[in-house]
Amino acid sequence: MGTDPNTLDALMARLADGDRGVFARVFELLWGPIHRLCVSLLKNDADASDAAQEAMHKILERASDYDKMRPAMPWAMALAAWECRTLTRKHTRRRETEAPIDELGGEHPEEAFVQRDLTAAAIAALGDLSEGDRETLVAAFWDEAASVSGATLRKRRERALTRFRKTWRRLYGLD
Amino acid sequence: MDSIDLAHLQQRVRWAYELGRMRRALLGVAPVLVIAAVAACVAQRPMSTVWFGLATAAAGAAMLWYGRDPQKAVLPGIAAGLVPLVLALCANQMHVCGPDGCSSLCVPACTLGGVVAGLAVAAVGNQRRAGIWFWFSASSLALLTGAMGCACIGYSGIVGLGIGFAVGAVPGLLRRAFAKKAS
Repeated sequence: MGTDPNTLDALMARLADGDRGVFARVFELLWGPIHRLCVSLLKNDADASDAAQEAMHKILERASDYDKMRPAMPWAMALAAWECRTLTRKHTRRRETEAPIDELGGEHPEEAFVQRDLTAAAIAALGDLSEGDRETLVAAFWDEAASVSGATLRKRRERALTRFRKTWRRLYGLD
Repeated sequence: MDSIDLAHLQQRVRWAYELGRMRRALLGVAPVLVIAAVAACVAQRPMSTVWFGLATAAAGAAMLWYGRDPQKAVLPGIAAGLVPLVLALCANQMHVCGPDGCSSLCVPACTLGGVVAGLAVAAVGNQRRAGIWFWFSASSLALLTGAMGCACIGYSGIVGLGIGFAVGAVPGLLRRAFAKKAS
């Protein structure tokens, strides 16, 4: 990803302590990955920009609450994923996402449509998980090395995936 | 991504960061307002207690919002100031009578409380090897918290608190200064 999590962790800890001198650097380190996550989840540049801006707003508003024992990037990613989920739900409610299939473009618009629905469903299911599980899955998705590694990370990921599957089954009734 | 004005976004987010800190700071000083309200109910001069309580809350909120050393000084400062506050409020309820008449125990209680508060701030400051801003912030908050109760017989109680605090804190402060020079 190009972002050294240890550097971000240290900078976030300093920002949580009130060191405003690192604000711009933290912003720079977070903006790219957060924006990319939103683009990959929402598949729409305008929505992704809105969600990423709102996510940055929330992340830095809560920077003082940042727990120095946890890695910063998965924490920020989980907040951004939550923001994407909120935006998707809002759009679903307003039926703004109901674009005709042929407007999706590309060679296989049906596939794109299915993909978009699956992404929205995955974001919704992700929102029903605990914050810890969300962070683990988002970190796994982005191949972010958390503070734990090896067997611990694998076990945590497996447990989070099991809970994700259960939530998926409960919400949509299929695997 | 080009369509996003990142400088403007950063400015907006910075504002959100400051507001988030302010909200957290106001929540953090809420217990001080409760303490001030309780102290005002017990104190003989509730208005002084209320004013010192508000000053303590405002100073505490500013320190929590600012962060760094002053933020770390809030809890030890207020905790140390509770000693003279409680002693003064208890002393308000009693007096000593001699051949020349009766006198309040407020000033001795404030002085004794000040010594204990000074020692406590010095102990924490030395243990953490804290900087000057920690000492300054913790001392201010301890004195303001103590003053909520020590205004019981006017400013003499607060003077007693200040002298007691200096007696308690100065040796620790000197020890730190000399240790720094030696190293």
